[in-house]
Amino acid sequence: MVDAAPVANGVSTNTEPIIRCINVNKWFGEFHVLRDITVDIYPGEVVVIIGPSGSGKSTFIRCINRLEEHQEGKIIVDGIELSHDVRNIAAIRREIGMVFQQFNLFPHLSVLQNIMLAPMKVRNWKKDRAEAKARELLERVGIPEQCDKYPGQLSGGQQQRVAIARALAMEPKIMLFDEPTSALDPEMIKEVLDVMKELALSGMTMIVVTHEMGFAREVADRVLFFDQGRIVEQGTPEHFFQNAQHPRTQLFLSQIL
Amino acid sequence: MTTISDPHSGLPERVRTQVNYDEPAIKPPPLLSVGPLAWMRNNLFRSTFDTILTVVFALVSISIITGLLTWAIQGANWFVITRNLRLFMVGRFPVGELWRTEWMALFIMFVAGFGLATYRAVSYRIFIFAIVVVALSFAIPPIVAATTPPEYSLLAAGNTEVAAGTVTETPIPELAFVGQAGEEITISYPTSLGDDARLATLSGFTDRATTAVINAARNRLAQEETTARLQERLANAPLTEEQREALSAQLAGIEIPPPVTDTLQVNTQPVDIEILHGETLDVLAQATLSQESESFSLTLPDDGWYILRKTMRDEGSLAILEARNIEPVLVSELSALDVRYRSMTSDFETGARRPRIDGLDVPIINIIDYQYFGKRNFPEFMKLYVAPLLAQLDTPLLFLLLATGIGYAASYGLSRYSPPVYRGQLPLRVFSILFLISPIVIYILLSAVNTSRWGGLLLTFMLTAVGIVLSFPIGVLLALGRRSSLPVVKGVCIFFIEVVRGVPLITVLFIANLMLPMLHPSLVQVDAVLRAMAGITLFSAAYLAENVRGGLQAIPPGQEEAARALGLSGVQITLYITLPQALRAVIPALVGQAISLFKDTSLVAIIGLFDLTRIADSVISQPEFIGARPESYLFISIIYFVFSYLMAWVSRKIEASGSGAARRF
Ligand SMILES: Nc1ncnc2c1ncn2[C@@H]1O[C@H](COP(=O)(O)OP(=O)(O)OP(=O)(O)O)[C@@H](O)[C@H]1O
Ligand SMILES: [Mg+2]
Repeated sequence: MVDAAPVANGVSTNTEPIIRCINVNKWFGEFHVLRDITVDIYPGEVVVIIGPSGSGKSTFIRCINRLEEHQEGKIIVDGIELSHDVRNIAAIRREIGMVFQQFNLFPHLSVLQNIMLAPMKVRNWKKDRAEAKARELLERVGIPEQCDKYPGQLSGGQQQRVAIARALAMEPKIMLFDEPTSALDPEMIKEVLDVMKELALSGMTMIVVTHEMGFAREVADRVLFFDQGRIVEQGTPEHFFQNAQHPRTQLFLSQIL
Repeated sequence: MTTISDPHSGLPERVRTQVNYDEPAIKPPPLLSVGPLAWMRNNLFRSTFDTILTVVFALVSISIITGLLTWAIQGANWFVITRNLRLFMVGRFPVGELWRTEWMALFIMFVAGFGLATYRAVSYRIFIFAIVVVALSFAIPPIVAATTPPEYSLLAAGNTEVAAGTVTETPIPELAFVGQAGEEITISYPTSLGDDARLATLSGFTDRATTAVINAARNRLAQEETTARLQERLANAPLTEEQREALSAQLAGIEIPPPVTDTLQVNTQPVDIEILHGETLDVLAQATLSQESESFSLTLPDDGWYILRKTMRDEGSLAILEARNIEPVLVSELSALDVRYRSMTSDFETGARRPRIDGLDVPIINIIDYQYFGKRNFPEFMKLYVAPLLAQLDTPLLFLLLATGIGYAASYGLSRYSPPVYRGQLPLRVFSILFLISPIVIYILLSAVNTSRWGGLLLTFMLTAVGIVLSFPIGVLLALGRRSSLPVVKGVCIFFIEVVRGVPLITVLFIANLMLPMLHPSLVQVDAVLRAMAGITLFSAAYLAENVRGGLQAIPPGQEEAARALGLSGVQITLYITLPQALRAVIPALVGQAISLFKDTSLVAIIGLFDLTRIADSVISQPEFIGARPESYLFISIIYFVFSYLMAWVSRKIEASGSGAARRF
């Protein structure tokens, strides 16, 4: 394993990591799905996670906002350690936005209501403020005209952009993406990736599980390669794609490139 | 259209690419059917098997429908409905308080109209249909009155006893009837009643003596027929000696009386008739009717009571008179002191005291003694039943339609002219408010009347409405409780749901009725209707909980995950994400439950409440309607059906309008 320290690209290595994972272990029953994951992620960093199916990528990022519970080790997000304390979990979820493969928009709410719900109910914003924010975000993801439609009336790419806007509405410090483009038709992938690129350029801390190697090359500050619940190799995209060391990484890359 | 073949496929050069520049013209689709004959061939008689099925189903339904219609028009006694309409609708609700139920109905229709427009569930075209129905209900009674001749009654005169089977009757010499100024009374002396065959076919309103005469004639004809059949068999059929003896013995046992027309000397002797003023007892007209005389007419001078007196000079003879415009009198007792009398097919009503002669009430021509006898034809059916029913319904229907229309227009107007800040949501908000306050409005209106006076459709409706409305929150809580992670909560909810679902409603009602008072002494005072409501609510809640649970389970887990990732708390997730979706998904099931509850409330009859079903059972214990059970039950079946169908229809419309489950993905 190459211990590549986080590298440049506007990311300062001097600051405190915003996410610290120390020896995180998790089991599903007997199945050891995360094995001694130790990694620090710094503010503003864009981390892309790749790896074969079933290697624990989703489980890992779901542990970061406590959709899954880890059983050993420590996860510290923005100085707060994840524990059973409900207040800690709530505080952390306010700071972390998540985008899912299946969008998971609320079908009974309009696009605007989807975005406004959490700020109003969790952050107790007034309706006007939430609506202004929602419209601003829809503008930012490029679909301001769709605000009164229902999710069922949108294309997949539009739905995923609404989902991104919904996560951003909470003004999170960190965004998690779990294969955001895997459920999309090819012609819609680009519109979502463009939004994500723009987000990365704006300095958002992002952890992205994806199979889009082009995106990883272009946007990532660091690439983590997962296999069988471990981080087998990590490094800058240049290092990773041209100079991978570990035989598993080489095998994986040879299969997908 | 362009087709490019794979350049590496090794095809000969000239077919490697194909380009087609032709633009085929846009054509309408071919006509599929040409006229009704083709339609029938394609849909009804496509194959031998189809043809057989079509014919069998058509024959079965035609025979059922004609049988039913023949009975309904010719034989059924629909007075049980037209005369008890109020009982069917509201039971023994105090007449002075009826305005409460009327306002309630108007309010409900207003809210319904508002809702239909808010959800864009129906187009205004449905109103055209309703207007036509109401217009018809106004138009039909006068048309029927103008086109059908006045009803005639058959009235017997004479001093002889008439025996038919075990019944003996004597004609009543004096009869009181209700008439209106300007009405023309005609009494005639039918000359063609000379033989039993003619007597047996008489039909119309008949007094008891006439009925007995007709029955006697029919009995005799039947015996004659039996004798003829037996003789025919003796003469022609190959019989053993024993059979022959048995038949002969049977024949000898039959004794055919002489013709009724002979023994009673029907319509051979003259009758003296007088018409008296009911109050003054003055003789207004007088005539002697016989085979030679013309019929006799009198135009009534006043509104009110009259007396018809008929005397036969000759002992031992009998006359049957045909009287037009002398109709049975309907009695409605508003209270012991306020009794009103109405002639059957007109709206005219009098509250004046019944006429008395020598200190005795003169018998009235009431519907008990003057039943319709024989077969009715269609115009008579319309006149006797349909017109009076419509005459009672037309004004209420008009007001209900108006209320619905005003509600519809109100919602429509709000959505068109509301300030832009509401973005078209104003009608929805107003509707929610109306919907939420409607239980309060209904409670305020009805609570002034003791529930023991509620009955009929009103009670059925209230039991259903209260059951559904109250069981809704309880059922939702039970469903959530059943999915709770707290074992005690979960256990209690499962126990309640499974126990209630494992027990018939009737048992729950008995428990609510009998055991509730045992639980706590103060519960003795809870009246029977409230106890039934409690039972129905709990019963319905258990089923509703299972429906809602089904809806909750159908929600993809990603929904809850996304909500958790956004930081929503468990309660918020339930309130804003899972429950609304679950409820939308189960709207059809909920309506189905409302419908079955509406019908199941009929079980409260067994614990002594007078709901629609019990009313249907109780009206036929009135002496004049004994035997009218089919009519009574058919009528409430129609009511149950119409309301159930309406509920299903409205829910289908609301769903189709996109406000229900249809908005999922
Ligand atoms: N709730 C669960 N219970 C039991 N096993 C689970 C559960 N969720 C995931 N797993 C298993 O854990 C392993 C890792 O799953 P995970 O979804 O993290 O993989 P992944 O790397 O995201 O794969 P993919 O690329 O297919 O999404 C898989 O073998 C999966 O079958
Ligand atoms: Mg995954």
